[in-house]
Amino acid sequence: MNSDVKTIFSSYHNNAQLFDEVFDSNGVAKNVYQKLLDLYGNHSIQEYVQLNNKAKASFFNQGITFQVYDNKVTQEKIFPFDLFPRIIDEDEWEIIEKGAIQRSKALNLFLWDIYHDKKIIKDGIVPLDLISSSANYLHQMIGVDPPGGIYNHISGTDIIKHSDGHYYVLEDNIRCPSGVSYVICNRTALKRALFGVFNHYKTHSVTNYAENLLEILESVKPKGVDVPNCVVLTPGMYNSAFYEHSYLAKAMGVELVEGRDLFVENDFVYMKTIRGPIKVDVIYRRVDDLYMDPLEFKPESALGVPGLFAAYRKGNVCLANAPGTGVADDKAIYTYMPQIIKYYLDETPILNNVHTYHCSRPDELKYVLEHIHELVIKPVDEAGGYGISIGNRLTKDEIKVVQEEIKQNPRKYIAQPIMSLSVHPTYIDESESFEQRHVDLRTFTLLGHEKEFVLKGGLSRVALKRGNLIVNSSQGGGSKDTWVLKK
Amino acid sequence: MLARVANNLFWMGRYIERAEHVARYLNVNYFSSLDAPNELSQSRQFVLRSMMFFVGEPIVDESVILKEEDILYNIGLNPALPYSVINNVKFARENANSARDLISTELYESINKFYHFVINYSVEDFTKKGLYDFTVNITEMTAILRGKIRGTLLHDEVYAIIMLGINLERATQVIRIINAKYNDAVRAKGSYGDKIGHSFEWITLLKCVESYDMMRRYYKKTPTSISTLEFLILNPDCPRSVINSINQVHKHIRVLDESKSPNKNSTAFLISKVKGEYEFKYAEEIEEDIQGFIEKILDNLVQISLKMENEFFNY
Repeated sequence: MNSDVKTIFSSYHNNAQLFDEVFDSNGVAKNVYQKLLDLYGNHSIQEYVQLNNKAKASFFNQGITFQVYDNKVTQEKIFPFDLFPRIIDEDEWEIIEKGAIQRSKALNLFLWDIYHDKKIIKDGIVPLDLISSSANYLHQMIGVDPPGGIYNHISGTDIIKHSDGHYYVLEDNIRCPSGVSYVICNRTALKRALFGVFNHYKTHSVTNYAENLLEILESVKPKGVDVPNCVVLTPGMYNSAFYEHSYLAKAMGVELVEGRDLFVENDFVYMKTIRGPIKVDVIYRRVDDLYMDPLEFKPESALGVPGLFAAYRKGNVCLANAPGTGVADDKAIYTYMPQIIKYYLDETPILNNVHTYHCSRPDELKYVLEHIHELVIKPVDEAGGYGISIGNRLTKDEIKVVQEEIKQNPRKYIAQPIMSLSVHPTYIDESESFEQRHVDLRTFTLLGHEKEFVLKGGLSRVALKRGNLIVNSSQGGGSKDTWVLKK
Repeated sequence: MLARVANNLFWMGRYIERAEHVARYLNVNYFSSLDAPNELSQSRQFVLRSMMFFVGEPIVDESVILKEEDILYNIGLNPALPYSVINNVKFARENANSARDLISTELYESINKFYHFVINYSVEDFTKKGLYDFTVNITEMTAILRGKIRGTLLHDEVYAIIMLGINLERATQVIRIINAKYNDAVRAKGSYGDKIGHSFEWITLLKCVESYDMMRRYYKKTPTSISTLEFLILNPDCPRSVINSINQVHKHIRVLDESKSPNKNSTAFLISKVKGEYEFKYAEEIEEDIQGFIEKILDNLVQISLKMENEFFNY
C-alpha cells in the first residue's frame, strides 16, 4: 500500500470478529481489491467527498428519488449509494449464478405442482397445512396453465456471505422483486464519478437486463400470437418503485400502462391508445395479486383491470409473474427448499439454506422459545424487513413479548440462527471515513420458455447504521455497485 | 401511444410554455416600467395591475393599493395559486413523470433540474432582489427544454403531441399578452398626450413576446398598434406570431391524422378551418374590434383543445 491509501482508509477500523470482504483479519487487502484500493487511495478525503456529492447530484437530477413526508412537507431523497464497489470474482459468481437458476427452476416446478396435482404433498415432502394456511395461495390459480409453463419469470434472490466465507440464501422473492433499476443506476453513477477505475478491471455489463427481460416476456406469449405486444403495468407514479417501472418500460421500448389504460372485452385485454384499442399479450405487472382484478380479488381496488384474471385463465394474456407465486416465497416454504430442489430436480442445492426452526412444530417451538436470545425471529408473511426480532438485541421484557406473540400464533413465525453478514468498507458521511458495514446481495434471475438469464451483478445492499443487520431500503439501507469479473 | 400519456405530454408542453410566458410578462413589464416615458406607465400600481390582469385576476377597484411583494410572490412562487410560475413548473414535471418512459432521459433530467430550481428558490430573494434572476432563468430553462424536445426525441407522435401543446399554449398566451397590453394602452391613453396607436405599451408588448428586435428589423419604424398587431398575429415568419403557432399546430396534427381529406368532425378539419380564416385577415380589420377578435380567437383555440381531448385523449 502506498502512503496515500492511508489517508482515505487510515481510520478504517477492522473488527476481526466480522467477516470483511476486502481486508483479512490482519488488515491486509485481498488480491482482487488491491488495485482498487490503490486507485481510491489517490484521492484525498476532500476529493472523495466532492465525488460523492457529484454522484448524489447525479441521482437527484435524474429524479431517482423517493418521497418522505415530514411536517406536511414532501421532500425528495435519493437512495443512499456508496461509491466503493463490491467485487465478486468469476469463480464465486459461477456458484451464485448456477444456484440462483437451480432455485428458480425448482420453485417453478413446485408452483406448477401445488396448483395442479400436488404430488409433493401427497408424497409427504411438504405438509399440506403449510400450503392451505398460506395467505398467498390463490385457489383461483388451481388448474390454470400459465403460458409457456412459467410462474416465476422474475426472481430476486437475497444472498449473504456468512462469517464462514460461504454464501447463504436468506430469501427468494418471486412476487414483484424490485431493485434492478438501482443496479443499473449505481453503475451509471459510479462511471460518471470514477470512470478511471473501470480500466483496471474486466467487469460484466449490467445494461443487458432489459433486453433479456423483453426476450423472456416474449417467450411466454399466449398461443396463436405471432409478435406479442408486451407492456409494463404500474400502480402509478406515486408508487415508490415508479422510477423502476418507467425505466424498464423505456429500456424495453414498451408501453408503461396503469390499470385505467387497459380494458377487457370478450376475455382479451386491450390498451386505450390515441388510435383506439390495441390488444395486449404479455403484461409484466408490478401490481400485487390482490389488486390486479377487482372482479376476482379485492373489489375496492382501483389499480386493477376488471376481467383481467378471466382473460388470463383463458390463456389470452400472460401475466409475469403469475398470480399466486407468493405462496412459494413464503418464509416457511423457504425452509423446505433443499427438499424441493431434491424432489423436482434430483440435485443437491448449490446455494446453502440457513437452518430454520418452524414454530409450528412443537419440539422446534420449544427450542425457539428457550433460545430467543440467539435467534432471529421472522414472521413468515411479511416483506421488507418488517416484524423481524433479533434475539441478542432484545431486553428481557422484550423477549417475553416475543415469546407471547409466538405462542399466540406459532404458524406465523420461523426462527433462524443469527447469521453474521459479511461487512464491506462503506463511506459514512458523519465520520467522513470508511467504516465496516454489513452487506447482502440481491440477484435477479429470469426464467422463460426455454430461456434463462441471471444478471451478472446485483444489488449489494448496505445497512448504514453501525451494527445493523437489516439492509432493506425501507429500513434505511443503502447500496453499492457490484462488479462480477470476467474470466 | 396511450391516450392518457398523450394527454400528459400535451399538458407538459402547455405548462412549460405557460411558465415561460408568465415569467417573461413579469420581467418585461416590471423592468420596462422603471424608465417608462410617462408617469402612469412608470407607476408601480399600474404595472402590478397589469400583471394581475394578465394572470386572469384583474383588480378593477382603483382604490385598492397593491403591495409589490405580495403580487410578485403570488404570481411567481405562491404554491396555492394555480397561475403561479411554481405551479406551472410543478404541473409540467408531474405530467412528464407520467410519460417518463416515453421521453428521453436528457429531457426528463432537464425538466427535473428546472423543477428543483423553482421549488428551491428563496421567496425572500425573489420578492426583494431576485425577480430578474428568477425570470431570466425560467425563460432560459424553458428554451433548453424546447431544445431537448426537438433534439433528443423521436419526431413521431410523441413529439407531435408535445408540439401541439406548446403551440396551442403559445398562441393562447400571445393573445392574452396582447389583450393585457391593449388594456394597458387604453388605460395609459392621454396620460402623455399620445394616441393609443403610438403608445409606449406596444414596445413593452413586443418585448413581452421576445419579438421587439425582429420587429424593428422588419419594419424599421417605431411600433404602432397596427404594425404590432400585424407582426404578432399575422406574420408567419415571426416565431411568436399567432399564425405561426397555428401553422405549427396544423403541421403536427397531420402526424396524428394522416387522412387526405379529414372528416368534418375531426380536429385536423377544425385546425385547417381556423388556419384558413387567419391567413386572409389584415391588421386594420383586427384593430376595428380588437376585443371581439381576441375573444373569438381564444374561443377557437379552446375548441381545438377540446376536440383533441375528445379525439385522442379519451381514456
